[in-house]
Amino acid sequence: MTRKLLFTVFVLISLHALGQEKVTLNGYVKDASNGEELIGVTVFIPQLKAGAVTNAYGFYSITLPKGTYEVQYSYVGYTFQTVTVELEKDLANNIELASEATFIKEVVVTDKRIDENVVSLQMSKNTLDLTQVRKLPALFGEVDIIKNIQMLPGVLTAGEGTSSFYVRGGSADQNLILIDEAPIYDPSHLFGLFSVFNADVIKDSELYKGGIPARFGGRLSSILEVRTKDGNNKKVSVAGGIGSMASRVMVEGPLKKDKSSFIISARRSYVDLFLRAADQDNLVHFYDINAKVNWKYNNNNRFFAAFYSGRDVFNFADDFGFAWGNKTATFRWNHLFNERLFSNTSVIASNFDYKLEVKDPVQGFKWTSNLQELSIKYDLSYFINTNNELSFGYHITGRRFSPGKIAPNTEGSIFSEVEMQHMYALDHAFYISNQQKLSERLMLDYGVRLSIFQNIGTSDLYLYEDPRDNINVQRTDTVHYGPWENIKTYVNVEPRVGIRYIVGEGQSVKVSYNRMVQNTHLIAAGTVPVPFNTWNPSGYYLKPQLADQVAVGYFRNFKSNMYELSAEAYYKDIKNVTDFADNADIFFNQDLSTEFRQGKSWAYGLELMMTKKEGKLTGSIGYTLSKAMRKVDGVNLDRAFAANYDRRNVVNIQAAYDMNEKWTFGANFTYSTGRPTTLPTGKFEYQNYNPDVITERNGYRLPAFHRLDLSATLTPRKNANRRWHGQWVFSVYNAYNRQNPFTIYTRTKKNDDGDVIGDGRTKEARMVYLFPILPSVTYNFKF
Amino acid sequence: MKNIFIVILLSVVFMSCEKTVLLDLNQNIPRLVIEGQVTNQPGYQYVKITRTTGFYEEGESPAVEDATVRVTDDLGNEFVFTHNPGNLADSAGIYLPETPFTGVIGRAYKLTVTTDGEVYEAEDAMSQVTSIDSLASRISTDEQDDPKDFGRFYEVLMYAKEPQNSTDYYLFKFYRNDSLKVYNDTHIYYADDEVLGENIDGVPSPIYYAPGDLARVEMYSLTRNGFVFYNDLQSLLNSDGGLFSQPPSNSRTNLSNGAVGFFQASALEIKEIVIKE
Repeated sequence: MTRKLLFTVFVLISLHALGQEKVTLNGYVKDASNGEELIGVTVFIPQLKAGAVTNAYGFYSITLPKGTYEVQYSYVGYTFQTVTVELEKDLANNIELASEATFIKEVVVTDKRIDENVVSLQMSKNTLDLTQVRKLPALFGEVDIIKNIQMLPGVLTAGEGTSSFYVRGGSADQNLILIDEAPIYDPSHLFGLFSVFNADVIKDSELYKGGIPARFGGRLSSILEVRTKDGNNKKVSVAGGIGSMASRVMVEGPLKKDKSSFIISARRSYVDLFLRAADQDNLVHFYDINAKVNWKYNNNNRFFAAFYSGRDVFNFADDFGFAWGNKTATFRWNHLFNERLFSNTSVIASNFDYKLEVKDPVQGFKWTSNLQELSIKYDLSYFINTNNELSFGYHITGRRFSPGKIAPNTEGSIFSEVEMQHMYALDHAFYISNQQKLSERLMLDYGVRLSIFQNIGTSDLYLYEDPRDNINVQRTDTVHYGPWENIKTYVNVEPRVGIRYIVGEGQSVKVSYNRMVQNTHLIAAGTVPVPFNTWNPSGYYLKPQLADQVAVGYFRNFKSNMYELSAEAYYKDIKNVTDFADNADIFFNQDLSTEFRQGKSWAYGLELMMTKKEGKLTGSIGYTLSKAMRKVDGVNLDRAFAANYDRRNVVNIQAAYDMNEKWTFGANFTYSTGRPTTLPTGKFEYQNYNPDVITERNGYRLPAFHRLDLSATLTPRKNANRRWHGQWVFSVYNAYNRQNPFTIYTRTKKNDDGDVIGDGRTKEARMVYLFPILPSVTYNFKF
Repeated sequence: MKNIFIVILLSVVFMSCEKTVLLDLNQNIPRLVIEGQVTNQPGYQYVKITRTTGFYEEGESPAVEDATVRVTDDLGNEFVFTHNPGNLADSAGIYLPETPFTGVIGRAYKLTVTTDGEVYEAEDAMSQVTSIDSLASRISTDEQDDPKDFGRFYEVLMYAKEPQNSTDYYLFKFYRNDSLKVYNDTHIYYADDEVLGENIDGVPSPIYYAPGDLARVEMYSLTRNGFVFYNDLQSLLNSDGGLFSQPPSNSRTNLSNGAVGFFQASALEIKEIVIKE
């Protein structure tokens, strides 16, 4: 019923639009210095109090009555620009905005600052300001956007040194992480010390925690969309950095001036040096390569091709090695059918794989696993009139899961070759949504996404006597499915609604509701996923996970938008959340279906954030009060328990101070309630072992986590004639040397050498902590 | 072999430090602990009964000395066990058969323990075990470079044929001069045959020996239940606290009524070798 109503509304809007004679102003907004398209630029016409925002491709379109207008273009960090246009017929007006950074001293103060926080309909979204991020301290001086995302309200981390994050009571695998639209299945380097995102090439990154637009789907809790730079189409430039962990270099420039450009960047670590036990034979490193070309054929057709490859490699002498990595490729075509109808077609490929090898004449083997996907997305934006912007599209994704293959790697190996069967899935999504301005104050976004998921062959489906018996697994039947043959289909309707109401000058209230569906499930039973975890599609036994989230927010800007305040409350309800039986065997298990346990999860919280965006002192203070619970039959004796990512209080403070042209200082402070953990109540003797007795999942908490980091950036006074720009970044991580808990485990009482002391029956608990106070220096350059 | 992940994940924390902390834990409610074993070799039948203790308690677990213990097989034979018949000081809680017996491959055994008016039961079947064709020994050069025990750097190599037409599970115990050894106090040596080929040629022992040492290898067959118990026990003993690994949880057991431990029926293959220089 609701669906019918929505479609009727769309039809009415379109008819309404046809009845008026109007003209359209459209175009792309770019950065004047390098030709990068700018996302989220506000285009505003004061006379009509009408406006638009540039989309993900830097494109905007507004339909207006004929006339002469003043059009204002404004964007954070760029100089404000006003253009007068005579609109007699449809007009394409491409604009270039100058970055404020290029006018360091003569900061242009305009009376009209950006109030996107208040007027935009989207709530529960955070955009990382990379200029700001660079002023803040970073672990080993390596700027990492995921570490900054972990500082946002509503976002949690399992501790330091991990790249996984948890959004509003959702687990780590419920975040869709995209680089140029391609999914990254494991965003970690060195098990999470760093993320795969090289800050040098990142243009923009946005995190959607709620009110998720209909064009996104597939994960329950968040979308992290990272876009890379298109490359400078004006001049060739080189930038890079030499850090204590890794070094980077990036080259960008025009292929044909103003028409096409390229960018290529590489980063490699030298962690080898950091491994205490490192000797000549050990090799531990990671690298990332990002490359992109774009070509503007004409104003109506633009093409982009982007590529990413990153890998971690660990080799321990001649004994043992493992590696993992992501590879993605995106091809994109932006096409303007006319002034009002914009389309984007993307073909996206993504591959994640890991391998593990033991080199031994007798016990040698090689273990490999991968996940491949190919998708085609067709997205359209129809700028109906000043009050309605319709978005619709179709996405199709095919996935092939190869959970594992073990093969002997020597003649005399005791192992035989075993491969787990591949799994295939086909995912279709249709969506349509309309952003409608009902009045100056009231704006709506309503839409729906239809997700059709198919688990398909080639595959053998095992049927079980009792699909929950993971001890004595009894297969009753095996059904063979041929290529593309349908095994199981799940159809879900995902409504998405957002409302924004301006309650007064610089103040608004926003409400949103979204339903999300997830059909790829991470096979990880710990708190922090590791690259050796595999993914599984929904199927005969495993049902899709469903999340409903309602969020309400109050947004207010003060002092000409110098300060932004947001307060959001949310409630999230998850059905069929995927968990695992106690003691589940999740690696190389042909009968993995018997290990899944699905249940429910619920989470709620309050997020407060105050940001200061202008002036010498900038930064933000965030506070989150939240709770996240789970109840899964077959886990914790069917009783509800605190989710691994449940934290009551979290405070994050980030500040940067631009003292003068030479010096900038930054600071991070974070405080969080301890992570829930499972500890024993007792122990017993069995043969020569002294195991613990466990009574409750997550019944305890680790001590609270808090840390202060400091940084100072020195930009030596530059000779105006020199092209070389250098910059030193000094940082101190964990400035007051807090021993923050990473985990607590138990063992038989031992001395410092690891030898058992006493009668071997006394036990002790050990707290593991990671980083002590860590100073680092990074040198960045550009020419 | 799946435990290789645990090894990796522990090695990950290469920059970590650790310290002993005192936990404020909930009171332990004592539960019965049963460790029972029936094999096809004489003198390897016993049941040990104790209780769980608080995490920080020191010393031996309290032994249960007044239980009624019997084992029956699926042919209706009954074997009664009595507490510490030799009245040995170090055998409190250990029950031995009144009349010695040996188990038979293919038969199912049921343990019944009655204490304090509560009845605890468990069943297990005795699966076949392959034979160890031979043992050999050689110097482990890695261990020779950095021996854990001074002078002990010989490893024992095992040769066997793994039957490919049956699903088998194994538990290994390694003895040095009649003393049970583990390389690390949390290591259990057990395996399934899912990815094993037929020829097991020269798998080295995890325990090192000196010339003159008597090395004994015991290979026990396990049922699926037994394998699951030891696999769970291995995860519990080596848990990282639930950060990368699953949160620790108790081993699944064949014992009823909330008892912890396991009752195991195993075919047992024993081979010995004296280490020569």
